[in-house]
Amino acid sequence: MNTEHQAWTQLREHAASLIRPGFPDRVMRALRARSSPLMVAQFAMCAATAALCLVAVAIYRARLSADENVQNLAGWSEISTQANDLDQGL
Amino acid sequence: MDESSTSSLGDRVRRAQRGDEAALRDLIISYQHRVAGFAYAITGRSDSIEDLVQLVFIKMARAVQRLKAPEQFESWLFRLARNTCIDYLRRQKLRRIFTPFAPEHENVPEPAGAVDTEELDALRHALAQLRPKDRALIALVQEGRTHAEIAETFRTTVAAVKARLHRAREQLRQHYQTDEH
Repeated sequence: MNTEHQAWTQLREHAASLIRPGFPDRVMRALRARSSPLMVAQFAMCAATAALCLVAVAIYRARLSADENVQNLAGWSEISTQANDLDQGL
Repeated sequence: MDESSTSSLGDRVRRAQRGDEAALRDLIISYQHRVAGFAYAITGRSDSIEDLVQLVFIKMARAVQRLKAPEQFESWLFRLARNTCIDYLRRQKLRRIFTPFAPEHENVPEPAGAVDTEELDALRHALAQLRPKDRALIALVQEGRTHAEIAETFRTTVAAVKARLHRAREQLRQHYQTDEH
């Protein structure tokens, strides 16, 4: 059991030796980098791109339905003219 | 841990919660080696310990504001470290599926003799035979966590923790003795 206890102490010492000097500073730097303005800017860029895509899709759909409306109206007016002609013929 | 050190720890945690960088840095300095030992006991890999410990402290810094009981910081930190290590092992396992022959993804953590002494090699290999959750359980006990704290970490009962711990210790002892002789 004593050797196992010794082994645990050695394990902790070995693990501690794997942490290079200046570790806390590196963590603080990584923390700052992860919440840096660059990240915020990247996020804003992504959001703007997504918004632009949505607007483009909405415009495309609006234009498509407007074209369809024009076509439908033209079709209906043609039918209505033909119906009028038929009525007058009768 | 005595009362004064607990209160000073609580004070440091509260300052870190208010965004005091010096207090946060102080906490990292205090716990870096213990977290490293804990992570090493669970993962068994020397090459990724610093990255893993860094990840634990980054998570700690981001989540410390949400810690309701600053006096329980230590128990909370080791729970965070335990979950980070288990996630790391899970990711390694997943990566192995996609890159099966990469040496860093092998199940055997490190070649024998990679570390200094026979006792340590034997302990590392005995730990490697256990399931990651059992390794974490033993590492938590080694870190001085109580059965009640461990039960909370594992979301189970104290009796279940005792039973699992007994089994895990027995297994470790068997493998440790086999490796040693």
